[in-house]
Amino acid sequence: MKKNMFYATVALFVIALCFPCVSPAKEKPIVIGAPLATAFLYGWDAERGIKLAIDEINAAGGVNVAGKKRLFKAEIIDTRDLEPAVPVADALLAMEKLILDKDADFIVGGPVRSEASLAAMDLLRKHKKVSILTTGALTPDYSKRVAENYDKYKYCFRNSSHVPVMMGDFMAILNDLQKDHKFNKAYIMVQDVAHARAGGEYMQKALKAKNWETELKIYPTGTTDYSVGLIDSGKKGAQVLFLWMDMPESAALLQQWSNMKLKSLPMGFMNAAEQPGFWKATGGKGEYMIVNLVNGGNAPANITPWTMKFVDAYKKKWGLEPEGYGTSSSYMAVYQLKDAIERAKTTDSDAVVAALESQDLMGVYGRMRFDKKTHQIIPSWDPKEGAVTGIIQWQAGKRVQIFPPKVADGKILFPPWMK
Amino acid sequence: MEIIVYGVINSVILSLMALGFTLVYSIARMPNFAHGALYITTGYLAWLFMNSFGHLPYPAAIVLSIAITAAIGALIYRFVLIRIRGMEISEIIATYAIGLAILEGLRWGGLRGMTFTLPPFIAGSTQILGVSVDYQRLVIVGIGILTFATLYLFTHFNRVGLALRGIAQDERAAMMLGIDSDMTAIISLALGSGLAGLAAILLLPLGNIIVEVGYNVLIFAIAVSVIGGLGSWGGTVLASFIIGFAQILTEAFLSSHYQMVVALMAIIITLLIKPSGIFGKQKELEERV
Repeated sequence: MKKNMFYATVALFVIALCFPCVSPAKEKPIVIGAPLATAFLYGWDAERGIKLAIDEINAAGGVNVAGKKRLFKAEIIDTRDLEPAVPVADALLAMEKLILDKDADFIVGGPVRSEASLAAMDLLRKHKKVSILTTGALTPDYSKRVAENYDKYKYCFRNSSHVPVMMGDFMAILNDLQKDHKFNKAYIMVQDVAHARAGGEYMQKALKAKNWETELKIYPTGTTDYSVGLIDSGKKGAQVLFLWMDMPESAALLQQWSNMKLKSLPMGFMNAAEQPGFWKATGGKGEYMIVNLVNGGNAPANITPWTMKFVDAYKKKWGLEPEGYGTSSSYMAVYQLKDAIERAKTTDSDAVVAALESQDLMGVYGRMRFDKKTHQIIPSWDPKEGAVTGIIQWQAGKRVQIFPPKVADGKILFPPWMK
Repeated sequence: MEIIVYGVINSVILSLMALGFTLVYSIARMPNFAHGALYITTGYLAWLFMNSFGHLPYPAAIVLSIAITAAIGALIYRFVLIRIRGMEISEIIATYAIGLAILEGLRWGGLRGMTFTLPPFIAGSTQILGVSVDYQRLVIVGIGILTFATLYLFTHFNRVGLALRGIAQDERAAMMLGIDSDMTAIISLALGSGLAGLAAILLLPLGNIIVEVGYNVLIFAIAVSVIGGLGSWGGTVLASFIIGFAQILTEAFLSSHYQMVVALMAIIITLLIKPSGIFGKQKELEERV
């Protein structure tokens, strides 16, 4: 009996030596490099989304690459590209470090500022690295460049929305307000950065075309006093305060708006108002603010069966709800890569590009499909057809999904002083 | 009317931001480029005392955080600046490096995002000359005026204050009369840092405690001091009103977009026309010599 046990042990030992690849831990991990501005919301929430997805996938055995199970490994690097002056060169150096020093197989996340992500496209081409842009950059030029020069930029994908799509969503809401409440005056306040200026100018043009009276004000990054502009908006009888800012200081704007009891409904793209902590930070004065979270699932919502599963898993791991733009898309990008690698049966970049182009996956914020020409996620107001946005309104301390109508959990509420 | 009301408020805010910087330069002849970092440190300390360490009441957190910031200022002189005093470039590099280390240290330590805020002293708003103003801004104006009055009395009727003025006016003559130059420098650094802390406690409830604010405060403090004349208190007040009103007028009639440009342009114009600043008499004399 003892002899048999001895032989069995030796046999097992030999098998283990001969087939080390049976265990996923022994396989070389697939490295996901994430260049992110980690000191800012769009960086740290993306990092958390990526890590959550990797933990889930690794706990379930990893990625099946042609029969071999390989684990994902995250390499995060701080690009700092959301800081004033937009240090693009620093972001590119960080990304190159991920590729050359950290041996990143794929890039997920940023660079976060549009200026840096556009500049990074040539790096991705040079190193033939597949990238899924998930956070920050909202410029339509990213997907436009892929379409105009496919062979050069075919490695660049984006599973998140961009300015023209977001504007279409906002215009739908504003059209309803014009139709139902006779609103026709908007005051636009934006930050002095490329995407915000573009957003503000686009919105002014679109509203003028619909016979709205508009005024556009541009504020330097770091502004904490908006009193003069807000008083002016009140004098001009603005019913909508359209905001486009990604600086944390903009929370002060909502506090001042509330203190002045201006008869306008604030809405827009506002980093500060995305986060769960916004309510406490403004002492509840941010109530009624309508915020575009760019993608669904960045706040609790019922878009697909996966949405609340993701929200709960995020809460369990990080102790708070998904925080804002970049959370759900970064999480989904890891699953999209897993799906593409498994279908391609390799981590080879060209094969993974082809697999991503043919991908059709039901995700956290709807059906995930990339446009084959632009590599931009296909948007829709119906989660069965495409990726759905997340437009919420702060109501009694909660972020309530109010748009698109198919997945809305509540209706727009107005401040009592507007009556 | 809002231009007058918010012009005054903005001017007082700017003078509070610059007061500590001016005080240190006027007495110790040291440009404290860690001023912005000390400003934001006070806000973060007050937040920590209220929310993490001991859950202190707001007034206790304020007093403690300002006291710690003042102590940091004194320590910066005692352990760093004392060795390089008189070497102006080294002073600038050293204080700027300390400021950077503090700000980046705060960021590394978790000060990021917009969830760090201090509550206003009095919530709500009222109408002044038909213009809506929140109470916190009125508190800022009130305490700002009180601070300037107290400092005037301190430097004119208190032994320590008189010693500080003595050093500021003529260091060698003051030393001959037995005033300790290093001790006054330590006191001025502590007082200047404490004033940066006081400004933070008053101004941060208007927004958030963010690392980047530290850089902005330093830029405004330098702008006000250069235009007013480095080390001149009267110049600080006048320059604050010039920049404060210029910014509000820019926002009202041109574009809010150019607010920071106004401050920086004012520095350039001052340096071109009167390099010593509006009230920078001592520097002017040196230039003539």
